[in-house]
Amino acid sequence: MKKLLSLSLVVSSLLMADTDMDQLKEQMNKQQLIIEKLMQKIEKLETTSNVTKPVINIDKEEVSQNTQKNDLPAKSKTFSQSSFMPDISLIADMSYVSRNKKNDVVEHLEVPGVAHGLLGSHTHDGNTHTPYNAKQGFNLNYAELSLSKSVDPSLNLNGIFHFSEDSVEIEELYFTTTGLGYGSRVKGGKFNSNFGYLNEQHHHYWSFADMPLVYESFLGMHGINENGIQFQWTAPTSTYLMIGAEVLQGNNEQMFGNSYIGSAESPTAASENAPSLYVGYVKTSFDIDDTTIFAGLSYAQGSSRVDHSSDDENPHAFVGDSSLYGIDLTIKHYFDSYSFLTWQSEILSRDMDGKQYNFDASGSVASSPDLIKQQSGLYSQLVYAPNKSWQMGVRYDSIFKNDVISNGVNQNKPSHLNKYSAMLEYHTSEFARLRLQYNKNNALYNEAGDKRSIETIILQANISIGAHGAHSF
Amino acid sequence: MKKLLLLLLLPLTLLAHMNIAVSYPYIGALTKSIGGKHINTVVLAKGNWDPHFVVPRPSLIAKVRNADALIMNGGQLEIGWLPPLINRASNPKTQVGSSTFLNLSHHVELIQKPQSVDRSGGDVHPDGNPHFHLNPENILTLGIAIKNFLISIDSEHKAVYEKNYEEFSGMWKEKLGMWKSKMANKNGLKVIQFHDNLAYFNKLYGLTSIGTIEPLPGVPPSSRHTINLIKLIKGEQPCCILHDVYHSTKTADYISSKTGIKVVLMPHDIGALEDIESLVSLFDYLTSAIK
Repeated sequence: MKKLLSLSLVVSSLLMADTDMDQLKEQMNKQQLIIEKLMQKIEKLETTSNVTKPVINIDKEEVSQNTQKNDLPAKSKTFSQSSFMPDISLIADMSYVSRNKKNDVVEHLEVPGVAHGLLGSHTHDGNTHTPYNAKQGFNLNYAELSLSKSVDPSLNLNGIFHFSEDSVEIEELYFTTTGLGYGSRVKGGKFNSNFGYLNEQHHHYWSFADMPLVYESFLGMHGINENGIQFQWTAPTSTYLMIGAEVLQGNNEQMFGNSYIGSAESPTAASENAPSLYVGYVKTSFDIDDTTIFAGLSYAQGSSRVDHSSDDENPHAFVGDSSLYGIDLTIKHYFDSYSFLTWQSEILSRDMDGKQYNFDASGSVASSPDLIKQQSGLYSQLVYAPNKSWQMGVRYDSIFKNDVISNGVNQNKPSHLNKYSAMLEYHTSEFARLRLQYNKNNALYNEAGDKRSIETIILQANISIGAHGAHSF
Repeated sequence: MKKLLLLLLLPLTLLAHMNIAVSYPYIGALTKSIGGKHINTVVLAKGNWDPHFVVPRPSLIAKVRNADALIMNGGQLEIGWLPPLINRASNPKTQVGSSTFLNLSHHVELIQKPQSVDRSGGDVHPDGNPHFHLNPENILTLGIAIKNFLISIDSEHKAVYEKNYEEFSGMWKEKLGMWKSKMANKNGLKVIQFHDNLAYFNKLYGLTSIGTIEPLPGVPPSSRHTINLIKLIKGEQPCCILHDVYHSTKTADYISSKTGIKVVLMPHDIGALEDIESLVSLFDYLTSAIK
């Protein structure tokens, strides 16, 4: 229609070729006015035809015919694909942190025999590794951009991108099948393993600003987040029963790995075949009135490479095989639609068996004792929501078994490592929450082997826009 | 062990007929009246809870996983809880767009469709007000949609579904007349609500909703808004506060104590109150609640 009008304008101006300039201009102006009026008319017609929806009081076929008739003119006129836009959401997480110890003190603390560098940022192999809420004062933890949509009738694609101040990470990027049937689903790409209860959930879904001690010290701040493939099967029973298996690449800074250690030509420890991490789990759940009980058993087994060979102090590396066992139990009681009480607990236990390589200043192996680590920890948390706006909770963290056996000799590492947390949350809506959290961490020791109790206050804001983030249980 | 497995699998063999998962109790009741003995309905949400906030309990995954079809309300009412269940259940029969998936909101005309959507206006439904089943006339429209849906997935029992629908609609039309005469003298009454979930009911019977206790959809009551509402009530003299069963009546009771306005509990679905056991009793109750 518009095309036709402009064409007529061109044609008419050609016909006017021999008349004098002024007349031509006048004619042009008139034409333009007419066109503008016509355009307005067209727009008006277009909008009204969009607005008047048919009164649908009839059956299926007639409805679809009607909508088709109505939508056709608007849709066929462009190549617009905006209706295929994926669901987009952006989640911002920021915090204000106050600690009783300075950043540089905190950075050098370790959970003896378990992990180091849990709090505060530290550089490792040239990568700056900044846990959430690392610094005193203001922290911008991340912006999480999430995109998801059906690919076609048989696949969905999800991408979750983590922007921090100095890097961008693909947190997750995976497809899931939708059409396999028989309760089975395949997921492939990079994703959070479904090991345990907390591991699959994203940070913004946790009830506390930080990870439970046992998770963070065994698996690091990302948990088991790997490239790989997952298969899950839900049993055809009235009680929820799900069995899952995962084959994962096996690169976890704290526990699993398969690359060589040392130089490529003459490595101290050779690389292992990848993928090298296998995860399996069984989960079940049932309801008793308004109480839901959810329980799971998980197991992970893989080759280990924990490489601290380029550390300034005590360079060392661990090479061997590791197993991780998990038991989780969550009991959630609902008082009404908005008020609930949740008790969530997990026990993690690991068995690492291999060799520790200690390096001297020149980088050659000074000693290589056989090393066995048998460590267990748990967290248990209670969260109460009196209404839609408020939540409050307490958490107890503990590493209660810490046997580090070097060449058959128990190193007598401290074994009652614990941490206490409390939090209060205010939700301005489903899409934003402000959280005040207090931690007392009694699990950290300095290099001299002295316990350093760390108290932290975190004021966290977690805010999201865009697509509605529906969460699984 | 074998015995246990047998016990677990037993329910499956018993359910030889179609297993239809539905999001809300009213859909279950309507589907059951049309499907009769050829179907079995599994209701996911509880009738006395806020339909916007249903916990995606894992037991519901099992229900969706074992379903032969899924019927939902739509209009984004289930947006916060149904997608993860469908996703987890991985059942091709309950995937959006499959021939065994029915979105009822595509079969009725939604009112209050916002011109523009922004969450600064609260948690608005971009497709319009999704509580359309509270207009009892819509129940017939939804019944037709469900009848056609059942026929499309189980044409063998076409005659049965048609007959059941005829019976249902005959009974329902009679009831519609009754409810209409019961509500005739309520035409023009002004009402206050907590959330505008009775919009369709009000529209049909000529009630005018002049305000809500929540300042914006999904936003809890604030003292400033409550004070303004009290002023409005004193000025406009509405008959009553029509209150849902899942929000606390604390604010409503306070307003009532300040203005003398009545607070009337209005069930939104079957099971919302103890004696609401069927679609008929739901509307029987709703049409006699305002006195």
